[in-house]
Amino acid sequence: MGFGEILFHIFVFPGLLFLLAWTFFAFYFFRKALAYMHRRVGPHYNGPAGSLQTVYDIFKLLGKESITPRTADTYLFNIIPILTPVIASLPVILIPWTPWINNGHGILDTDYGLLGIVVLIGVEPFLLFLTGFGSDNKYSFLGGMRVLVQMLSMEAAFFLAALSPALLFGTMNLYDIQSSNGFGTTLILLPGAALFVVAMLGILQQPPFNIPEAEQEIVYGFYTEYSGTNYVLLKFAEFVEFLVVSAAAVVLFFGGYHGILMDSFWCLFLKISLLLFVILVVRAANPRLRLDQMLKFSWSWLTPAAILNLVWVAFAKIYLVGM
Amino acid sequence: MMENIKKVLSQFETEYIEDYKTNYVKAKFKNPSDLLDIIQALIDEGVKSCSTVSPTDFLEDNRMEVNYFLEDMITHRNVWLKVDIPRELEECEIDSITPLMPSADWHELESYSTFGVKFKGHPDLRYFLISTDYYGLYPFRRDFDYLEHEKKLNENIAEITNEYHDEYEEEQKNADPESSQTILNWGPTHPASGPIRLKVTADGEIIKKIDLDIGYVWRALEDLVTRKDFIGAIVAVERVCFMDNTNPMICYAQAVEEIAGKEITPFARYMRVILGEVGRSASHLVAMGGFFGNMGLMTFMMWMLDIREAYLDVLDNYSGARIATACVEPGGVRYPLEDYKAFFASVRKALAKLQKHDAEIEGIFMKNPLMATRAKGAGIFDRDDMEKYYLCGPIARAIGEKVDVRLDEPYAAYGDLDMDYELEQTGDARDRLLMLYREMKQSADLIEQAMKKIEEGIEAEEMNPQKDHMVKMPRKMPAGEAVSRVEWARGEMLMHLVTMEKSSSPYRLKIKAPSLNHTLILDPMLRGKTLSDISLLYGSMNICQGDLDR
Repeated sequence: MGFGEILFHIFVFPGLLFLLAWTFFAFYFFRKALAYMHRRVGPHYNGPAGSLQTVYDIFKLLGKESITPRTADTYLFNIIPILTPVIASLPVILIPWTPWINNGHGILDTDYGLLGIVVLIGVEPFLLFLTGFGSDNKYSFLGGMRVLVQMLSMEAAFFLAALSPALLFGTMNLYDIQSSNGFGTTLILLPGAALFVVAMLGILQQPPFNIPEAEQEIVYGFYTEYSGTNYVLLKFAEFVEFLVVSAAAVVLFFGGYHGILMDSFWCLFLKISLLLFVILVVRAANPRLRLDQMLKFSWSWLTPAAILNLVWVAFAKIYLVGM
Repeated sequence: MMENIKKVLSQFETEYIEDYKTNYVKAKFKNPSDLLDIIQALIDEGVKSCSTVSPTDFLEDNRMEVNYFLEDMITHRNVWLKVDIPRELEECEIDSITPLMPSADWHELESYSTFGVKFKGHPDLRYFLISTDYYGLYPFRRDFDYLEHEKKLNENIAEITNEYHDEYEEEQKNADPESSQTILNWGPTHPASGPIRLKVTADGEIIKKIDLDIGYVWRALEDLVTRKDFIGAIVAVERVCFMDNTNPMICYAQAVEEIAGKEITPFARYMRVILGEVGRSASHLVAMGGFFGNMGLMTFMMWMLDIREAYLDVLDNYSGARIATACVEPGGVRYPLEDYKAFFASVRKALAKLQKHDAEIEGIFMKNPLMATRAKGAGIFDRDDMEKYYLCGPIARAIGEKVDVRLDEPYAAYGDLDMDYELEQTGDARDRLLMLYREMKQSADLIEQAMKKIEEGIEAEEMNPQKDHMVKMPRKMPAGEAVSRVEWARGEMLMHLVTMEKSSSPYRLKIKAPSLNHTLILDPMLRGKTLSDISLLYGSMNICQGDLDR
C-alpha cells in the first residue's frame, strides 16, 4: 500500500470525509424519517427537502463556546471528546467496505477481524462513563453509571450473537464470513441476527434501551454538561458508532457488500440504511424501559437466548450444512 | 342523608345551619375551640376529606372568617363550615385540622402564608408557596400594600437567588462523602418537571425521600381578580392553567350568576357543555401525550398535538383565540353563534379526527407492551388514600370510585345529557392513561349530544344562537357569597366567591384546583421506587404547575 493510498484511506474513504458525510446523512435521515413517523414535517426550509439544516446545525454548534464547568475535571472533561471519535472510527479499517479496496477485503485484512471489531466497540462505553465521571454533575454521574451497567449486561449477549457466524463458517476473518454467507446460511443465522440487533439497541443506547441518556429522568445523562465543539465531537462519535455497529451487523449476517445483481458499496449502504430504519421504527413506537427491567431482560432472556443460539448454530453446522 | 350531618352539627353552638344547593350543609359555628370536635364528629359520620380551607379577610368588621369545605367522597355530601376568628395577627389562630384530615395540610399552609391564620397543632407550619420576600407580610390581607412592596423588586430577586445558592452549598457541605446518598434537584428546569422543584434524596437509583418546593409560577391570581371587575376577572381565572382553558371560567361564571340571582339560557348552558368538553379534551390530549413523553416516546405526543390542533380550531372559530380564549363570562357565553352550522362543522371535524386515529391509538399505544411493563401495577393508591388526600377527577375514577362533579352536582346542561361514570379498576399508572382516553371518547359523545340539543332547539325556534348567548348581568353586584364547583380536566375545581354590596369587583375569590392535593401524595407514592419512576408517576397524576401555584 502506497503512501498516497494510506492518506486517501485516512482522510477520504473510509476515513474522515466519508465519516463526516455519513454523519450529515444519518443525522438528516434520523430527523426526517422520525418526523414522518411523528406526522411532522421535519427540516424543511434549508436546501432541498431541508437537507442543509443538519449542516447548518453542526456548524452552528462548532461556532459555539465549549463550556467547561468550574468544578469539572478539566483534563478528563476535554480529552474524552477527542478520544471517543478516534476510537469509534478505528473499526472502520477492519470492515470490507467495497470490492475495489484491497480486493474486497478490509484495509487491515486479519484473521481476527471479528474480535477486533467486538473489542473496539466494547471500549466505547468506558469512555462515555468517564465523560459522566469527569463532568462533576450528579445527573451526568448517574448517566455514566447507567452506561456501565448497561454495557456489562448487554455486551455478553452482543458478543455471543456476533460469534455465531464465526462458529458457522469457522473463521473470524470478516471477508471470509461475508463471502461464505449464502441464502441458506443467512436463514440459519437469522436468530443470531435478531439477537445481535436487539443487543445492538442496548449498545447504541437506542430506545427502548436509551436508559443512560434518559432526558426525562437524568437530563441526557453524560451529555448534560457538554456544549459546542465538544458536544459535536461526542455526537460525531455516536453516529460513527452507529455506522460501525450496523456495518458489522450487515457484514456478519447479511452478506456485506454482496448484492443480488452486483457487488458494490451501495449494497452495503442500502442494507445499513434499512437497518437504521428498523431502529427508527422501534424508537418511534416504544417507550423506555427501567434500568432494573433492562437488567432482568438482558440476563434472564437475552444472554441465555444467545447461548442457545450458539447451540443451534453448532447443531446446524454439523447436521444441516454438513461441514 | 343530609339530616345526619345537620344532627351532628346541631350538637354544637351555631349561628345557623342551613341547606345550600342540593348537596351542601352550610353552618357557621360560634366557638373556634369547637372545631376539632366538630371535625371528629363529621369524620365519624363519614365526611372524611377536606377540599380546601379559605379564609376571608373582613377588614371593616375586623374579623377573619375561615371557611372549610369538607366532603364525603363516597356519598357526595358536602359540608361548608364557617367560623370567625380575630383579625389581629397575634390572635389570628385556630386549631389545625391536618392531624384529622391530612388533605387540609397544604391548604392550611397556604392560608397561613397568605392571610396569617396560624394553625395550632399543624405538624409543619411554615411559609409555603409565596416567595421569600413575602414571608411574614401576608399578601392577601386587605391592608397589604403591594405597590410599596413592588418598589424593592430587584433587591428581593437578588435575595431569593442568593438564598438558593446558600441552600445548595449547605447541602453540599452536609453531604456525607462516604455515603451513596445524594440530593437531586429535580426541577424547576428539569426537562420533565415543569416549574416545580422536587428535592429528591436518592441512594443510587433508589428514592429515599422527596421534598416538594412549589411556588415558581405563583401569580397570586386570587388576589389579582380582586383588582378587576367581574368580567375582567375571567382573564385572570382562565390563567389557572391553559391546558383546560374553558372550565375555570365556567366555574367562576356560575358563582357570579348565583350571587346575582340570574339564570342563563338553555342555549348558553349547552354551549358551556360544548366549550367545556372541548377544553377537557384539549387537556387530556396533552396529558396522554405527556404520559408517553415521560418515558421518552415522543411519537404519541406529536400525534396528540396534531389532533389537539383540530380541537383548538374549534375554540379559535368561536372566540378568535386558541389558548387563552376568554369565551365564557358571567351571564352565559361570550359570543353569539352567527353561523352555527359552520361552527358545528368544525366541532365535528375535530371529533372525526379523533375517531379516524382511534385504531392506531388503541393498537400501538394503549396496548403497548413496553408501556404496560413500565406502568402496570405502578403507583397504585386505594380508596383510603383518595379520602385521605382528597384525590379527585380522572385519577380517582381510575381506581373505580364514582367521583365526578358533572354527575354529583350537575351544572351547565350536564343534568339533561345522557352520561354515566366512566371507570377503570386497579388505579395504576396505566389505568390512569386508559381513563383519560376513555374520557376523551365520553367528551366526544357529550359534545355530540349537546350539539344535537342545540340543533333541535333552533329548529323548534326555542333557541336563537344570535341572541340567546347572554342574559343581562347587573354592573354592580349585591352582597353575597357562593360556592361553585366544576369537573375540571384534572379533577374538582372549587371557587368560593365573596362580594360586597354594590361592588364592581370580587371581594375574595378562592380558587381550589386539584393539583395541590395530587402533589401531596407524591412523596408517599414514590418512596422506595427508582429514579425512572418519578417522571412516569408524577406525569400520570395529571399535575399542572399552573393550578398548583395559581
